[in-house]
Amino acid sequence: MTFEELTTYLTEKFGDKLELLETGKFEPFFLIKKENLVEICEAVKTDDKLLIDFLCNIGAIDTGEKFEIVYNLASIKKNIRFDLKLVMEYEGAEVDSVQEVWPCSNWYEREMWELYGINIKNHDNLTRFLLPDEWDQGHPMLKNWDAPDFKRMPEVE
Amino acid sequence: MTEGLRTEEFQVNMGPHHPSTHGVCRFILTMDGEVIVRAEPVIGYLHRSLEKICENRTYAQCIPVMDRFEYCTSMCCNEVFALAVEKLAGIEVPEYAEYLRVIMMELNRIASHMIWYGTTALDLGAITPFLYSFREREDILDMFEMTCGQRLTYNYIRIGGVSKDIPPEFIPKCKEFLATIDHKIDDYERMLTENPIFMVRNKGVGTLSPEMAIAYGVSGPSLRASGIKYDLRRDDPYSIYNRFKFDIPVCHNGDCYDRYIIRIKEMRESAKIVRQALEQLPNAEVNTGKMVKANFKPAKGEVYSRIENSRGEMGVYIQSTGDTKKPLRVKMRGGSYNQLQVMPELVKGVKIADVVAIMASLDIIMPEVDR
Amino acid sequence: MELIGIFKYLYEQLVATGIPQVWVDLISLVASAVIIFGVLALIALFLVWWERKLSADFQQRMGPMLTGWHGLIQTVADAIKLIQKEDITPTKADRPVFFWAPIICFVAAFAVYVTVPFGEGLIVSDLNIGILYIVAITTFTVISLLMAGWGSNNKYALLGGMRSAAQVVSYEVPMIVAILSVIVFVGSLSMVDIVESQALIYQWYIFRMPFGPIAFVIFIIAATAETNRTPFDLPEAEQELVAGFNIEYSGMKFAMFFLAEFINMFTVSAIGATLFLGGWQGPFLPSWVWFLVKTFGLVFVFMWFRWTYPRLRVDQLMEFSWKFLLPLAFANLILAGWMKYSGWFNW
Repeated sequence: MTFEELTTYLTEKFGDKLELLETGKFEPFFLIKKENLVEICEAVKTDDKLLIDFLCNIGAIDTGEKFEIVYNLASIKKNIRFDLKLVMEYEGAEVDSVQEVWPCSNWYEREMWELYGINIKNHDNLTRFLLPDEWDQGHPMLKNWDAPDFKRMPEVE
Repeated sequence: MTEGLRTEEFQVNMGPHHPSTHGVCRFILTMDGEVIVRAEPVIGYLHRSLEKICENRTYAQCIPVMDRFEYCTSMCCNEVFALAVEKLAGIEVPEYAEYLRVIMMELNRIASHMIWYGTTALDLGAITPFLYSFREREDILDMFEMTCGQRLTYNYIRIGGVSKDIPPEFIPKCKEFLATIDHKIDDYERMLTENPIFMVRNKGVGTLSPEMAIAYGVSGPSLRASGIKYDLRRDDPYSIYNRFKFDIPVCHNGDCYDRYIIRIKEMRESAKIVRQALEQLPNAEVNTGKMVKANFKPAKGEVYSRIENSRGEMGVYIQSTGDTKKPLRVKMRGGSYNQLQVMPELVKGVKIADVVAIMASLDIIMPEVDR
Repeated sequence: MELIGIFKYLYEQLVATGIPQVWVDLISLVASAVIIFGVLALIALFLVWWERKLSADFQQRMGPMLTGWHGLIQTVADAIKLIQKEDITPTKADRPVFFWAPIICFVAAFAVYVTVPFGEGLIVSDLNIGILYIVAITTFTVISLLMAGWGSNNKYALLGGMRSAAQVVSYEVPMIVAILSVIVFVGSLSMVDIVESQALIYQWYIFRMPFGPIAFVIFIIAATAETNRTPFDLPEAEQELVAGFNIEYSGMKFAMFFLAEFINMFTVSAIGATLFLGGWQGPFLPSWVWFLVKTFGLVFVFMWFRWTYPRLRVDQLMEFSWKFLLPLAFANLILAGWMKYSGWFNW
């Protein structure tokens, strides 16, 4: 499927649950609402024309104003790739786990929980992961996080 | 009768400093005698927060950081980041530089598989193969050294091209290497492939079904060993891979032995690609591309680029706001991350010796997991 | 030059001094013990060096080159280093057990040589149960490994000790049966009798078709397992158990385990040479040279195994012993008995 075919197919199938983003450069990038996340994920996984079986990556982003979460999805059988994005406020940031759909999301979500402080609903193992067990200095990937010994690179002109 | 008998489970801490965890990975193994009941990987010992570091650097400064992401195949790490930024900014890479990139990446893949071959044999108790494979890896590293001055973290593939042209002695050296590599791989195979002890240690051990492999995001050679013919070089071609003819080896059992066979075959295929690339290398124009400046700002946008690394799909997600010199977010994805995640499922009920064999065959390397 | 002549001469000198016979015997025994100890310590040091050089050859390296001619005194330097090292005992270790394990291992390794014939007449004591004595003493090693594993209070060490107990016990059986098939033919347990029964090369038990070669192969396989060497080096599988039973040992205690391992390898090679390759028998050269040549030849085979093969898994190891090696060894024993009884092959 080409970019256009995929975009048309997805927008027809999900209607206003998806919103195509301009920022996506090479693969379709869709903004979705977080209450639709698990539903859409299950749908794209089971859809005969999509069969999105492979979760490439989940990454959280702190834009300085909001949290974004990006799901990079791929289909091995159909050779398709597109991305989904969620946007949410800092306050009470929470997202459903998609590990029922793709088990490998477990670690990505755990990492997100630890480094960004985004709560994951229905996750079976939210424990310390990359950081030391006794870590108490907050969520280091946040833009406003500064550790006492954290040196920023000098600005280049 | 057996009801009266009860064996006590005990916990063994495998790692973080353990000879065969390929970096500093720790497994908390709950064992019943020699049999694993549960395994819980504990990671983070190599966490250097590369993603956060990248957020505080300009795009060009991120390339050396990417080197450290997966130091066995630094060329591929450079490439995946450069590819993503080139997509974002719409930079065209000259053909000559693309060929150099492919040659370097494929040589690097061979070198990485040689590390894997040596450590696999080492983990199974055979020490000699390790030194054989490192002998040939040395030749590859010499070639890299004469090209970019580095032996491990190359910083060679840059945004917009490659850092410098290959020296004149590179091509004869590379041709000499390619002339003997098949014979050397035959040597490797003679040491392990048909060895009965190696076979009983690997056949039927750590069987990964295709469904489970996909569900856990296992990619690369480990996925192909489970019978799924999926290689990003063919299925989602990046750079100029669609110009080369090469086979994608596939096996069907998904056990450690198949993962071994796949990687051995892949070394030969990579050599094939390098041979073709050297033949097709355009001699007329030597254009290694124009490097980006420090104040380079790609347009607003986000991209997830992925390439086929020796350990599976390596991806990097970059978001650029368009008005700063620094990426807003760089998220790295390495193949080992998912392969380590599937380990607890694979090692249930096997012996402690198999844990080592399975981990070696999945070719897990810790810097890629911890970042 | 026959070494035995020198011994006889010294013995006569001792008798000629006129001291009581008890003292003469005591002095000669102590002297032979010291000589054996010295010779074996030298052999062990040499074997460590030889293994390094051999492995380097197999792996296209140089091996030790700097200390002495081709690194010949590298092992001595290492031994001095180990002696100087701090001797650490873990706080939670079972102290007496931890302390005695390397000593038992070391002593057992040397005690075997009471009945090993180094050459014609070059034997400390020709016991009439010589081979039985050797088999009994070598089994002490497993006790010491178990003690080391238990006494260290370390899970890896314990796993290593358990593995070695299981392994040595299961490979002891086929090895003894293989030895028995030779003894059936000789009709004596004395080492000297065994050697003397194979005076000519076609009488060597390895050439006694068809039982000899089979018994020899069984013996070699079981001996590799007995000495904990690759492909049966599970007790100290460093990739799985880090270092196995000797993980907590340092300094001289570690050196004792290390040297004992090499002496054990020499022991099983010596037994193999005596039982199957005619011991000291051979033309032209002095008998002790023949013995050393054959023994080092077998040592080379063990080293060759080590630098070629991967390691088996513990359950495969057990299966191989009980399901294949042991039945084969028994069948071979019956074959040997039948050959002896029928008398057809008694050349």
